[in-house]
Parts: sequence; structure tokens; C-alpha cells
Amino acid sequence: MKNRILIVEDDEAIASAVKLNLQVAGYDCAAFDDGRQAADSLLADHAYDLALLDIMLPGVDGFALFDHMQKYNIPVIYITAKTDSASEIRGLRDGAEDYIVKPFDMLTLMVRIEKVLRRTGRLNTVYRVRDVELNSETRTVTKAGQPVYLQPLEFGVLLMLLKYKNMTVTREQLMTEVWGYDYVGETRVLDVKIFSLRKKLDLGDAIRTLPKLGYRLEER
Amino acid sequence: MKLWQKAAAVCAGVLALVVAACSVAMLLYARHTILDMSREQVRAKQRDLATSFSEMTSYYRLDTDTGPVRDSLVDYCFSRFADETSVLMRDGETLSSALDIDPSDWLDLDSADQDLWVDAYSGQQTYEGRVRGRDVLMAASLVSVRSEQYAVYTVVDVTDIHRSLAVMALIFLGVSLGGIALGAGAVTLLMRRGAKPLAALSGAAQRIAGGAYDVRADVTTKDEIGALAADFNTMAAAVQSRVDELTETARRQRLFIGGVNHEFKTPLTAILLHTRLLQKVNLTEDEKAESLAHIEKQCTWLERLTQKLLKTITLNQAITKTPIPAQELIDRVRASTQQIMADRNVTLRTSCDGASLLVDADLMQSLLVNLVDNAGKAYDPGDENRTVWLTVRDSVIEVCDAGRGIPAEAIGRVFEPFYMVDKSRSKKHGGSGLGLALVKQIADAHGARLEVHSAPGAGTTFRVELPST
Repeated sequence: MKNRILIVEDDEAIASAVKLNLQVAGYDCAAFDDGRQAADSLLADHAYDLALLDIMLPGVDGFALFDHMQKYNIPVIYITAKTDSASEIRGLRDGAEDYIVKPFDMLTLMVRIEKVLRRTGRLNTVYRVRDVELNSETRTVTKAGQPVYLQPLEFGVLLMLLKYKNMTVTREQLMTEVWGYDYVGETRVLDVKIFSLRKKLDLGDAIRTLPKLGYRLEER
Repeated sequence: MKLWQKAAAVCAGVLALVVAACSVAMLLYARHTILDMSREQVRAKQRDLATSFSEMTSYYRLDTDTGPVRDSLVDYCFSRFADETSVLMRDGETLSSALDIDPSDWLDLDSADQDLWVDAYSGQQTYEGRVRGRDVLMAASLVSVRSEQYAVYTVVDVTDIHRSLAVMALIFLGVSLGGIALGAGAVTLLMRRGAKPLAALSGAAQRIAGGAYDVRADVTTKDEIGALAADFNTMAAAVQSRVDELTETARRQRLFIGGVNHEFKTPLTAILLHTRLLQKVNLTEDEKAESLAHIEKQCTWLERLTQKLLKTITLNQAITKTPIPAQELIDRVRASTQQIMADRNVTLRTSCDGASLLVDADLMQSLLVNLVDNAGKAYDPGDENRTVWLTVRDSVIEVCDAGRGIPAEAIGRVFEPFYMVDKSRSKKHGGSGLGLALVKQIADAHGARLEVHSAPGAGTTFRVELPST
């Protein structure tokens, strides 16, 4: 079951970038460029796990839209070009989970989305690629329904690749996230883990090596 | 030392000097006159006495030689004219006197004392000086009776006159000091009153220096200081209006920079996001194309925004006006708006009185293109009769539409940089919020009057009135 995210952003270019990014990472997305339309659509369909709201919106602005979100218990992250603290404070005091200021980085936004989803108990804990399934709660991995044993570091690398499915994850990001520190020098250990993951789960062509960049788990 | 104190001190000094000099001169003159009169009185008295005594003795023909008779006769003759100031002596012996002194001790007629004053005609001699603690005037002369010489003295005590003169001097001193004090006080008061407006002026200047530019000097005297205060207030008003102007300029620039910052952020965010998307995500060919299209669109938009910004910023320089036929200007505007008006399905109707306009042609074209483009956006998708009118008549250019109009509360702000009546709709049309700000700047550079008349639902008219040449 994928997490569903509502995007309300009047700038089409930003909305499309965010939507594409989230979709390839395994989220379901619906985007609106008008506050009024977004509010009206909730009547028919409000099964969202999270809403990303721009504050300056035509029709109904982000702050007003927040009330609609609360009605359906949808947590909110504001996307804003307003750097003045007054609107940030207002947004957070009203109960928004977080905010992010333009220009922002997609990975930062995804980390915040994941944090909010986890905090509100909505984070999807089951990731899939082909016939492989990973449950981050029970820390189990199955292939075609059969349990596969992974070492903790192998599990960590696979989880990271699955979280950012279809996105390039750099060696540095993997080392920092899985090994837990800025690993300087010997990164052969990472190559070893990737090699064994490919072998154990038969993901030889799905985990792509991007020279000098990192790895990408592809499923298209 | 303050100016009024200096002036008061100088005035008081001069006053004191003049009064003192006058007092001393008057005192000396009075003393001289009074003493002269006293001297003359004493001499006259003695002369009368001596003459009367001499005549009476000769009347009695004192030819008897017998001493006692003669002596008593002389005594009788003298006593007829003598008073308490008269003394008669013979051979240093006092014959008759009401005084307890011997005047010959000070005025000896026999000795030829050079110091004594001698009247050549009567042989009268005078002494003036202190005798036993008293100021005394004496006059004396010799009177011959038969073979004997008698000395006739008149001795007058003038101590009281001297004392009166001293008292007079004291009174003069007192009056002078009082006069000086009064005069100095009056001068001080006057100077202080004169200096008060200066203090008010100084106070106002200090407060203005401290930043209270609305302070004015409250001085209404009709003298030079009043005139100075009026000039000072004029200057303060000029400074205030200049400061207000600069403050307003700074505020507008701050708003402008804030607007620029805000306007750049959204396209930059979009470009950044799409670039990262292309870099890091394995997109399908269609998705890649879409992403690139977004980047291109945002870059084009940034390019346009930069162009307009540059124009807005550099427009403050002087412009060059050349005559251009109005029709040519209209043709140029029509050519550059043709595509965009066709896209929006809006008709541009123009009319012209054939006049020639004295303008910077490129800038005026830019102004009119902006206005026409702006008017073209005034129609909603369902509107009928989609027309924009551009008319030139007697140096007045008008651009009208029959579109949705501008709400009353927004009319005052439409020329502000980055102000958009409806932000999202404006963005869909590629509006930057700078078009009308640019129009205003170009109109200002031409010295033209720019007006906007509009009502919601009734369309909008922009009117540019060029200065008559």
C-alpha cells in the first residue's frame, strides 16, 4: 500500500517536479494548482496521508486550506516562499507538522515527509521491488514469499535504496546513513554489500551502479 | 560668556565711566565756584571793614597824641563796624577780637611772605588753610591812623563749607552708583530679552540635528532675529521634505528588492528541482522532455524578468525625444503585440489624428506595448467583444478595454513594482508585476501625466497625457 500525498501548489513547474519525484520514490500523488479546487476535491476523496500546501494560493490560501485538512485528519507540511518568521510561526502554531522554504532540496523534503509520516503512524513500512518485499518494522525480507536472511548492514543498504527507489543514492549518503558516520577511505565494504544483495535477491540488473555517483534501485 | 552678557557688561562699563567722569567734573566745578565765592566774600568784607574803619578814624581827626583817648577812640571806631569775624591789631598786639586765636601767627602783614596772595591796589593779603583743626579764610590789610599802623583782619571759618562739599561729593557718588546700577540692570534685561529668540532658535536647531525634522523655531519678533527665524524655518522645511523624500525612496527600494527576491525564488526552485530530477532519477523519455520543457519555460521567464528589471533600473537616465508620426508608433505597437493578441483572441483597434509625437520612440513603444498587453489580459475566457482600443489625439494617448476592470482598492497600487491585482491569474498570463511600474517610469521620464480610470466589470482606461511642446 503506497502512501498518498496531496500537493497544492500554484506554480506548475514546482508541482510537477515534486510530483514526479515522489511518484518515482513510490508515493501516490494528486496535485492541484488552485486552493478552491483542492478543497472541493476533498469532499469526494480525502484518503491522503499527507498534504503539501503552498501558502500563496489562488482561490483559498494555504492557511485557510489547513482547516479543511484538519477535518479529515491530514497532516500538513507548508511550502512557502515567505521567509518572514511571522507566517512560519502562524503555520506551526495552527498545527502544521512542518514547513519548508523555497528554494528547497527534494531530498530534504522527502526526509521531512518521511518523518511526518512516521510521527503520525502513517509511514508505509512495507517496500517492494519486483518479488522482493522488505518490512522495516519487523526487519524481515522475503523473496517470492520465502524469507531471506540479510546481515544488518545489507538490510540497511537495501532499505535506503528502496526508500529512494528510482533515485540515485550516493555512496556518501549510503555510508552516512547505514554505517552511521562519515566513512572516509575504504568504501569497498559497500561494494561487497551491494554484491551480496544482488546475489541473494537476484537484483543484479535492478541495482544499477552509476560510476562516480552511487547506486540506483530501478523499477520502471 | 554669552553674547548678551558681553553686551551688557560693555554697556554697563561705558555707562559707569561716563557717569563717573560727569560727577567728578561737576563736583570739581562746584567746589571751585563755591570756594571762589567764599574767598571773594571774605575779601570784600575785610575791604569794607578796613575802609569804614579808616574813614571813621579820619573823620574824628585823631590828632591828639594822648594814648588812652586815642586808643579808646580807635576802639570805638573799630567796634562800630566789627563783628565776630573782625580782629584789630597793632604792632603784633591784639586790640579787639572776638576770636581765641592770633591771626598774625598765620598772616603776618609785616613779613613779605611770597606765598601769600596780595592785592596790589589795597595791599590786602589773604590766607587760606587749617587753623587748629578748622578750615579758615583770612584777609587782612594795614590801615594808617596818624603815625601808627593798624592791622585789620577778617577771619571766617569755612569748615562747614568744606564739609558740605564732602557731603555733596558723597551724594554724587551715591547717585552715580545708583544710576550705574539701574542702567546696567536695564541694559541686561534688554539684552536678555533680545537674546531669548536666539536661545529658542538654538534649541530648535539642536532638536532638528537630533532627528526631529518637524520642529520649527517659535520666534515671531519683528526684528532681524525674527527674519532669521523665518529663514531658518524655511530651511528646516526644505530639509524635512528632502529627508521625507529620501526615506520614501529608500522604503520603495527596500520593497522593490524584497519583490525581486521573492519573484526570483519560485522559478529558481522549479529549475533546481527539475535539474536534480534529471540528474538523479531514471525518468522515461516523456518525463525527461517534460522536465526540460519546464526548465526552459522558467529560464525564459527569468530572462524576461531580468530584462524588465534592467529596464526599470536603468530608466532613470535621461531620454532623447525625437518627433515620430503617431501612426508609425501605432504600427510598431501593433506589430509587436500581434501574436500575443491573436493568441488571446483579442482585437486591437486603433485611431489616430495624424499628429506627430515628440517622444523617445523605443521607450514610448515599450510603454504602449505594456499597456496593450495588459489590456489584453483583462478579458476572462468566456467574454465576448474582446477588443482593446488604442487612440492618439492631441498628445493624449488612451488604451481602453471592456474587460473585468480593477477593484477600487487596487487602483492606487497598480503602478507599484510587483503588485498584482490577482497574483495567480497574472502569473498564468506570464505577468511579472513590473509592466505597469515600467509604464509609470517611462511616463515620468517623459514628464507625462498618467491616469487610470476603471470600475469592476466596466473595463479600464489608461490615459497618457504628453506635455504640450
